[in-house]
Amino acid sequence: MISTKNITFSYNKDQTFIMPDLFCQAGNTILVTGNSGKGKTTYLHILAGLLQPNSGEIMIDNKEITHLKGSKADKFRGKNIGVVFQKSHFIASLSVLENLEMASWLASGKKHTKRAKELLHKLDISEQAHKLPNQLSVGQQQRVSIARALINEPKVLLADEPTSSLDDKNADNVIELLETLSKEYKTALIIVTHDSRIKEKFTNQITMV
Amino acid sequence: MIGKLAWKNIWFKPLNTILSILLLTASVAIITVLILVEKQFEEKYQSNLDGVDLVLGAQGSPLQLVLSSVYQVDDPTGNISYDSVKVWMKHPYVKKAIPLAYGDNYVGFKIVGTTPDYIEKYQATMAEGNVFEHNFEVVVGADVAEKLNLNIGDRFKGTHGSAAEGEVHEHGEYVVVGIASKTGKVIDNLILSNIPTVWQMHHVESHEEGHEEVSENPAHGEEGHVHHEDEAVAENPAHGEPGHVHDEHEATAENPAHGEEGHVHDEHETDMTIDEPNMEITSVLIEFKNKMGVFMWPTLIAQNTKMQAALPTYQMNRVFDMFGVGINALKYLAFGIMLISGISIFIALFNTLKERKAEFALMRVNGAKRRQLLMVVLYESILLCLVGYLFGTILGRVGIVLLSQASESDFKLGFNPMEIIWEKEGVLFGLTLLVGLIAALIPAIKAYTLNISKTLANA
Repeated sequence: MISTKNITFSYNKDQTFIMPDLFCQAGNTILVTGNSGKGKTTYLHILAGLLQPNSGEIMIDNKEITHLKGSKADKFRGKNIGVVFQKSHFIASLSVLENLEMASWLASGKKHTKRAKELLHKLDISEQAHKLPNQLSVGQQQRVSIARALINEPKVLLADEPTSSLDDKNADNVIELLETLSKEYKTALIIVTHDSRIKEKFTNQITMV
Repeated sequence: MIGKLAWKNIWFKPLNTILSILLLTASVAIITVLILVEKQFEEKYQSNLDGVDLVLGAQGSPLQLVLSSVYQVDDPTGNISYDSVKVWMKHPYVKKAIPLAYGDNYVGFKIVGTTPDYIEKYQATMAEGNVFEHNFEVVVGADVAEKLNLNIGDRFKGTHGSAAEGEVHEHGEYVVVGIASKTGKVIDNLILSNIPTVWQMHHVESHEEGHEEVSENPAHGEEGHVHHEDEAVAENPAHGEPGHVHDEHEATAENPAHGEEGHVHDEHETDMTIDEPNMEITSVLIEFKNKMGVFMWPTLIAQNTKMQAALPTYQMNRVFDMFGVGINALKYLAFGIMLISGISIFIALFNTLKERKAEFALMRVNGAKRRQLLMVVLYESILLCLVGYLFGTILGRVGIVLLSQASESDFKLGFNPMEIIWEKEGVLFGLTLLVGLIAALIPAIKAYTLNISKTLANA
């Protein structure tokens, strides 16, 4: 579960973003839409704890996270928040499976190899487990990103334009996976997007203006 | 996991990695060789100097005299009269005087006429058998015995001069009566006899002169031989003329029939003694009771005799000074290569860091702490250095094995590749790690201070 109240943020004095409040239960999905330059990605980074808001509060599972600093924030983020980016980034020198293991090790100190293999199986990429990430297609890479975001069974799953670099078929696929998996893992799913292909599918929408 | 990641990362860009390791290996190998050779070289040279304050020998290069008499590497400067040097050997300043007489070798190993004091000076004991007592009895050094597989009671014939290819003395066989314990000093590579043995083998004159005259005038061979059978060659001053007496070596060699007679004669009839007059030796190693001798004797000897007195410590310091320039030049070269390898590591890390910014940001999103990213970069650099050091110290020792083989055959001077000089090699190890640390410093700090949000938004 995640909720926000009165969040403001500014990169400089001239422009201040006032972020809309949101509330998302475990297993539900909220779509954050809006045109470019309205601060969608900024909002997502604030929710992920990568940026500090000027004011306001963010509650994740009844815990206020804007006051977490340094390695405590890193630890909380690793354990409770999964992020899927528009473009997939991986540790290039590690295999797909090792990337997942690394993600769980960084968050919890354990490798969770079994869970990683299960996830890869669910996402139908088991056969790519021992390949290097850059040997995979874009669609496959995005599925690995989802697996990595879910490996620590987070409370919140954030997706930043997860479909914009994918074709229709892959985009459908990814959205479906995100939705079913967030339900299965009881994760609050927040998708930031301007992709009209997705907008039709969700009723819970917040538009940034 | 961080270590594993660092390891995988360095091999993800194998060419960069190999270049850095290669440079490190080269510099560490050169420095390792220098450290080991310098130390073992000085140690060997120092240990051979113990108990030698001064060397008395024929005039010529003092360095040559020291090298030939103390280290057995160069040819001697010439011969000196034993009668006149005896006076100095009994000088009240002298604690111990060890005479040396050179003449023959056996397959390249020098046969040196001396006194049992020589064995004592090198702290060698008899591993087998006894010290030589009679003429033609020899004690062989530990390495000689091992390499030539010599045992007590073995007999062999010497070869004239210092080269193994010289002419063989057909008369006179040496008998092994003792094998010295291993000392790690020059004595290990020597065959030792008493002084009269050398005299008897060559009779009165210096080899070269006699040698030449023989080849120019073979007719005298017969005459020489007659003298020989007359015995008392040395006792009869009339025969002391150059070449004349020496001839019979040639004669015997050319005339095997006479060789037999000569042999019998050598062993049974007139064994020379140390009291033989008008004989020559090569040099004398002097240890002083009164160290004033070190300062007084060089002038004293030069003014009063036809000999020279060389100070081995002074001469060897000169040698080390000369070597030192070369060794330092090599050291600077090696440190230069190490600096370049450091720069190579820095450039490699710096370049890949640009590509890996998103990777690092992602790790932070996954819960990595700043410190962990710093460690990844540092580990990568230090792993490179560890591998480079490991290869370098192995390669350096391989180099020493090769070097040792060459110097063993040329100078009878071997180096031990297995010796580890903890102090200096430890410093080298520390230095290598320091290079890695400094090279990684800026990239590591950049990783530490990475702005995740900005990196991900722009990626």
